[in-house]
Amino acid sequence: MKKMLFICMLLSLTVLYVQQALAQKQQHKEYAEMQIPECNSCHKGEGVAPNHDSDWVRNHRTLASKAGHNCAECHGQTMCLDCHQGGGINADLSVANFGRDYLPKSHRSDFVTIHPIKALDNPQSCYRCHDQKFCNACHARFPQGNLRIKSHLALGSVGQAYAPALNEHATEARRNLQSCQACHPDGDVCIQCHASGSTNPHPRNWRAIKNNYRDKAGSRVCTKCHLPGTY
Amino acid sequence: MGIKGSLRLLLCISLLTASTSWSAEIHGRSSTQFLSFNNELLDDHRQIELAEYLRLSITNIDQAGKFSIHGYGRGSQDFTNGEGLNGRLYYLYGDYRGLFDKVDLRVGRQFVNLAAGSAIIDGAQIGLNNVGPVAFTVLGGRDVLFGLNGEIGDAGNATFGLAGYLTGFKQTDLELSWLRKWDDGDVSRDVIGATFKQYLLNNLKAYGNLRYDIAAESFNEVLGGVKYYPTSDLIFTGEYYQSYPTFDTTSIYSVFAVNRYQEGVFRVDYTVNNMVSLNAGYNRQGYGEDGTANVYHAGIGLRPIEPLAVSLEYDKRNGYYGSLDGGIATASYDIGKSSQIAGGITYDVYERDVLTGHEIARRYWLGGRHKLASNMALSGRIQNDVNHRYSRNVSGRVTFDYDF
Repeated sequence: MKKMLFICMLLSLTVLYVQQALAQKQQHKEYAEMQIPECNSCHKGEGVAPNHDSDWVRNHRTLASKAGHNCAECHGQTMCLDCHQGGGINADLSVANFGRDYLPKSHRSDFVTIHPIKALDNPQSCYRCHDQKFCNACHARFPQGNLRIKSHLALGSVGQAYAPALNEHATEARRNLQSCQACHPDGDVCIQCHASGSTNPHPRNWRAIKNNYRDKAGSRVCTKCHLPGTY
Repeated sequence: MGIKGSLRLLLCISLLTASTSWSAEIHGRSSTQFLSFNNELLDDHRQIELAEYLRLSITNIDQAGKFSIHGYGRGSQDFTNGEGLNGRLYYLYGDYRGLFDKVDLRVGRQFVNLAAGSAIIDGAQIGLNNVGPVAFTVLGGRDVLFGLNGEIGDAGNATFGLAGYLTGFKQTDLELSWLRKWDDGDVSRDVIGATFKQYLLNNLKAYGNLRYDIAAESFNEVLGGVKYYPTSDLIFTGEYYQSYPTFDTTSIYSVFAVNRYQEGVFRVDYTVNNMVSLNAGYNRQGYGEDGTANVYHAGIGLRPIEPLAVSLEYDKRNGYYGSLDGGIATASYDIGKSSQIAGGITYDVYERDVLTGHEIARRYWLGGRHKLASNMALSGRIQNDVNHRYSRNVSGRVTFDYDF
């Protein structure tokens, strides 16, 4: 119900103010070389929010991630892919490399070590550029037990193992399940216990949604714990 | 299309510049880059690579100027660690705009973006415009995934998307879209997306972004925000964001219970004058089951004299999973119209857990660029990382850019 209310509010906002929206959008191609303060002064005069400000990198997603955006009037796809996919044909002097790949500023200092902390600043942000397979490809290079995983330190800094009795792993997994997948892409360690049926790992609304998963990829996922025809 | 074949095709197209009988215009950039770095993933062996980037656009192919071809790729050769030849073809597509004044068609490898998701695809995107206040986009193709060395996707990874969006409205944006991904024939992602923006009262912008995961029957992401800009130099931002981690349905993790992540953001950006700009923000994060964190940010941009630009940023995070306290300082100085020198320091103090205590990571870098001619530039950058893993980790690059 709350979800429906939220959607209705968003739609009604648009309808209420649609009369303000009848003027044609300005083409920007001819302004591509203009200084940003000049752009924003004109924007303000037209009631349009300033953009390309110091919050732009964090905030550009809502404008850029839609069909029909006007980014291409000034930028090529190079602009997107240099930042999202490691390209460096237009790299500024301040842009660092990690190996042959160029890095956005968010990948600061010793990012290999601090990325578990930074990845928590919106856990979805990693997936805007990297597929999960990227995490697996890198983590697979390290022997399991060789990395310092906070939730695995119950046996000391060199004893990498969960201590299920501490009941910490369930909380950690619910908060940060993506990090589990980085080292255990097939969930092999999860099903050692959860396949037995003694502890149910599914979400609360599982009964309502389980058919969605069965229909989409049941033969690859459900059969890891359940016999065919029993799920 | 394999990476090597794609790069070969890109290079062949560039050779057409030599043809005088072709009236098409070819513009682009070649960037030749010498890289030296410590390969942290290969036992810290020094890696020396030569990389060649090529970006080009071929326009005015047809008389009406509606058809164009665009390409961008990178090839690199490692000389020391046996990694050999690597490459990434970022895009290579033909673009035909205004077919019957209504249809835009783009075929080839390309980056596609919808509110429901984004991807690089080997496929096609068709846009239907000028049919009223709503325009439509349909796209589909093989999903291209880049790994550490080349591509890691396969023929079974595919993407298909549909979108309808308002067009021509000056103060309103609204898009509804659907994106489906396949992994080896199984539907791995099924997402409905919406994005919206509305300007109000000459100084307010309301915006939002939704992603609804059809398999999980849950909102994967919800973003709602307001920007208030009483002047063009002062912007207040307030945002609420939540995400419910969802996984490919082909992954065992997709059937596990997870917590909803939530955050609230408040931020101010103020341009005092041509010489000073300021920004500051606070971000409250919630991970569920009493896991919370606070992130504070402050930044200042200075231009005391025209050729000198200085940027200072400070971030402080504390709470669930660790703390981070650090800053980034960069400065650049233009020497005439053809040269620039720049440098910077990053200094982070972080704590991963109580056993590690506080650790420090520092990065120092220097760089310079000189324009040899209006279409040629030489630049270089050297960097040293000092942290708990390295007392010295030097990397650098020298690049030669040629615009044609």
